[in-house]
Amino acid sequence: MAILVGKESTVVIQGITGREASMVTKLMLDYGTPVVAGVTPGRGGQKVEGVPVYDTLKAACHVHELDTSIIYVPPAAVLGAVWEAVANNIQLILIVTENIPQLDVIKILQLAKNYGVRIVGPNSVGIISPAERCKIGAIGGDKTERCFVPGCIGVISRSGGMTAESSWMVKRAGYGVSTSISIGGDALIGTPPQALLPLFEADDETEAVLLFSEPGTTFEEEVADSLEEGKFTKPLIAYVAGRFTEDMPAGTVFGHAAAIIEQKRGYPSAKMERLAKAGAYVATQFDDIIELLQRVLG
Amino acid sequence: MARLLEHHSKQLLRKLKIPVPLGEIASTPAQAAEIAQQIGFPVAVKGLIPVGKRGKAGAIGFAATKEEVLQQAEQILGMTVSFYPIEALLIEQKLAIKQELYLSITIDKASQSPVIIASTLGGIDIEELSREHPEKVSKTSIDPLIGLPEYKTVEIWSDLGLTGKLLRQASTILMRLYQMFVNFDAVIVEINPLTITEEDALIAAACVLSIDENALYRQPEIAKMVQPGSDRAWRPLTELERKLIAAGEDEAYRGTARYTEFNGGDIGFMCGGGGASLLLMDALRRFGGRPANYSEIGGNPPESKVYQLCCGVLSKAGVKGLFLAHNITNNTQIDVMAKGVVRAFKDMGIDPAQFPVVVREAGTHDEEGKQIFQAAGIEYHGDDITLEEAARLMVKKMRQFYPDYDRGSDK
Repeated sequence: MAILVGKESTVVIQGITGREASMVTKLMLDYGTPVVAGVTPGRGGQKVEGVPVYDTLKAACHVHELDTSIIYVPPAAVLGAVWEAVANNIQLILIVTENIPQLDVIKILQLAKNYGVRIVGPNSVGIISPAERCKIGAIGGDKTERCFVPGCIGVISRSGGMTAESSWMVKRAGYGVSTSISIGGDALIGTPPQALLPLFEADDETEAVLLFSEPGTTFEEEVADSLEEGKFTKPLIAYVAGRFTEDMPAGTVFGHAAAIIEQKRGYPSAKMERLAKAGAYVATQFDDIIELLQRVLG
Repeated sequence: MARLLEHHSKQLLRKLKIPVPLGEIASTPAQAAEIAQQIGFPVAVKGLIPVGKRGKAGAIGFAATKEEVLQQAEQILGMTVSFYPIEALLIEQKLAIKQELYLSITIDKASQSPVIIASTLGGIDIEELSREHPEKVSKTSIDPLIGLPEYKTVEIWSDLGLTGKLLRQASTILMRLYQMFVNFDAVIVEINPLTITEEDALIAAACVLSIDENALYRQPEIAKMVQPGSDRAWRPLTELERKLIAAGEDEAYRGTARYTEFNGGDIGFMCGGGGASLLLMDALRRFGGRPANYSEIGGNPPESKVYQLCCGVLSKAGVKGLFLAHNITNNTQIDVMAKGVVRAFKDMGIDPAQFPVVVREAGTHDEEGKQIFQAAGIEYHGDDITLEEAARLMVKKMRQFYPDYDRGSDK
């Protein structure tokens, strides 16, 4: 087992004919992801890497059972694409696009709430469940096994790149991952870390979770609440990057859009303290993760 | 998030038919006095800079005579507040105040929706107000798909105790402000105070407006009023930062190359992506290194972006080493990174044998990348070492090249 994506997923790519989307389609198919359809208005009837392209999602849904969509369209078109996805009963929507206007993002998130749909992203590099040989998004690139091997650690990362690096550290420690999720680097996202903990809690395969965090937002504080409320009982190993930002004037963005410290809220040191108090294993250096994993899993 | 100067935000308020005080911009004390005489005394003299708490910093004054305007203008024009030198003033009619209200609209990260904050106690900091009189502050979340229904604008002010003509006026202003928030892709719009004059008219005496930079593509009018990238610095952008932002805009939709200049430092920092850069900056500092800048590169940038960022990083005065590191990439091509960096070294006339460089670049096309780095005489690491091991190596190299390194330096 794994969470969110697996062998049973049926994947459609909205914006499949784009340069990056068609490249990633090939990488996903090579890995084993069941990509069964693509949508680009005006390109119906074409094929991308053998995958049939439809003009509308409705037309694609007539032919295929689809439950997962990857959105690979430019920022201005994402709201429309999400609207189309929820209207066609897609259950999981991965938004890869970054730099979407905030007013569009809050509408997207409201749509997801209204329709009971899960959104991962925006600005996510993807989700991968190695034992199921299923990945959605560019995650893992052309050498997926370099970082992602099957195992018992769930990985949640606020950084796309660090989703790979963190999973690689897990491998270096002698383990593998059940599912790794890049949740997106923005403050307004569909699935913050605390929303994933219950899924990992229920997943038999997952024995511990590794969280890569950054300054800003209240995500880590909410994760700590979940631990204290007993909603997640497996070991949680956490690392918070960006302590240097505490020496910088407030209100400046470093790294991702969400990594902004406003009036001393969002300090990494405060997050680390809060997580440790709630019972998480907090790594002061990223390299410590290897030893922590070995200690926790024995 | 890009903050507009006050005269720009008031220009937009006026456009939405929200009343604002009479006012004009002056860049010399003489001009200020002239404007004040046209408007009529007393006037407010406000320094025009894109930061808050101007009043506390002394960048806002009041004047009842020509002499006072000259004196205030003279004083405020020379000031620097939060690193921003004041180069222009907004001279405004000073309102006869009966009462002050507070009104703002922002996006609440917790509820992921627009929130309207209103109060009949205006003129003070909203954080202070919420702390001291929470019962006088009304907070209303709005469903972004539905928008703001008219009855709600009346409800909000009526619940706060407004009646009669004032209630109607305040409701109309709230509706227009919501339109402004949506139409201009605002991240925050705040009117504080919303003044009730002695004639019972409502006037937006002060306004803060910040616009979502991601939406500037559909806000051509506002794009001309703001400096993109200003939320990635705590002071006006430096010349080098402006240059690199312009370079980054060449091919807007492919790859990111961001740069923030630090005071001092000697290690050129060229790292990516967003999360790894934070980690690497922490690590370099912990091991005793002195980074000269922050940067972030990723999203598979073309060679030209890599080249320009690398030249920029290396060109800062005092930089005498380069740290080039990245998380294992999902799609960023290491061979393209290598080509851009090697070309930058060549064009800047830097010999890698005489200049400490640490490369830790693993991921897509790293075999080809390794060959390009090594052919240019640059020591290469891929996934044989961790990110933090690379940072440790960088500081070690600085110590080898510069035996006095730990004695520190300003440059």
